[in-house]
Amino acid sequence: MLNSQLATELYWSLNDTPKSTRLKEKCTLMNLLTSLLRPTREASAHCDGPCGVYDPAQARIAAEAVLSMEKKIAALGDGQDLATINSRTRFIEIKEQQAEIAKHDLNVLWTDYFKPEHLEKYPDLGDKFWKIAKLCSKNKTEQDPANGEALLKAIEEIHNIFWATKGRDVPFYLANP
Amino acid sequence: MDETRGNRLNRLAPVFLSATAAGLAAATVGVFERRFSRYLVTGASMEPALHDGDWLIVDLKAYTKRLPEPGHVVVARDPREPTREIIKRVERIEPFTGLTWLAGDNQHESTDSRHFGPVTREHLIGQVRWRYWHAR
Repeated sequence: MLNSQLATELYWSLNDTPKSTRLKEKCTLMNLLTSLLRPTREASAHCDGPCGVYDPAQARIAAEAVLSMEKKIAALGDGQDLATINSRTRFIEIKEQQAEIAKHDLNVLWTDYFKPEHLEKYPDLGDKFWKIAKLCSKNKTEQDPANGEALLKAIEEIHNIFWATKGRDVPFYLANP
Repeated sequence: MDETRGNRLNRLAPVFLSATAAGLAAATVGVFERRFSRYLVTGASMEPALHDGDWLIVDLKAYTKRLPEPGHVVVARDPREPTREIIKRVERIEPFTGLTWLAGDNQHESTDSRHFGPVTREHLIGQVRWRYWHAR
């Protein structure tokens, strides 16, 4: 009987139960302290609009549509029959619209999302956005799919910088690879 | 002097001392709690000065005897929804009327006096004095 008691005591002293109990006590003490220090009121630093939601994916989708139209225009050939002219006109119109949308979405990122501290870390960001806006215009005035590819490459760069500023690793992907 | 009485006093001295210390501590906490309040920041309109999740001590009596000054970070009642408390920086104060224009440091993600106009003294709750926990 006595022996078994001793054995149990020895068992507990060899295992680190006391230490883990101490740790537990420490945890509850920490919790108590935190609950005492925790704020009791809330001060809102919000804005009313749905702002704060930004994603370069918007521009990427528009740019993909531009590239798709450029490829379709190239595939259409130079037929002058009514049906071909009709299709070509539609493709051109969609290409124009989507290039404008990409330009707008990129400008929103540049003017609304990016802040001076981001510019400190990426000093060439202004130059990048200036060039990418010009690239959007080039996609409007021309119809070479190479321009669409270049635009997507540039948007990928913005995508990488954008998510780096948020401390997140978000892979770039295409809806229509 | 009665020896037993002296002994009893000696024995009770630590009790009196600790009771006084506890009383003083409680009084200090009471005075502090009455004047200061602990606040949690939510949202990003005060970036980069304050982050979402920061813990602040706000002085509720900061403006009982004086006017706010441009540059002060204040907690105020939202003039459009008085139960909501907002945190902004004082941009300017109109002389005589004391009308206070508030602005978020992060103007792209802030609704402030540009939208709801200036606030009056009654809207001001207090001045942010310390940040005692950084969210990042």
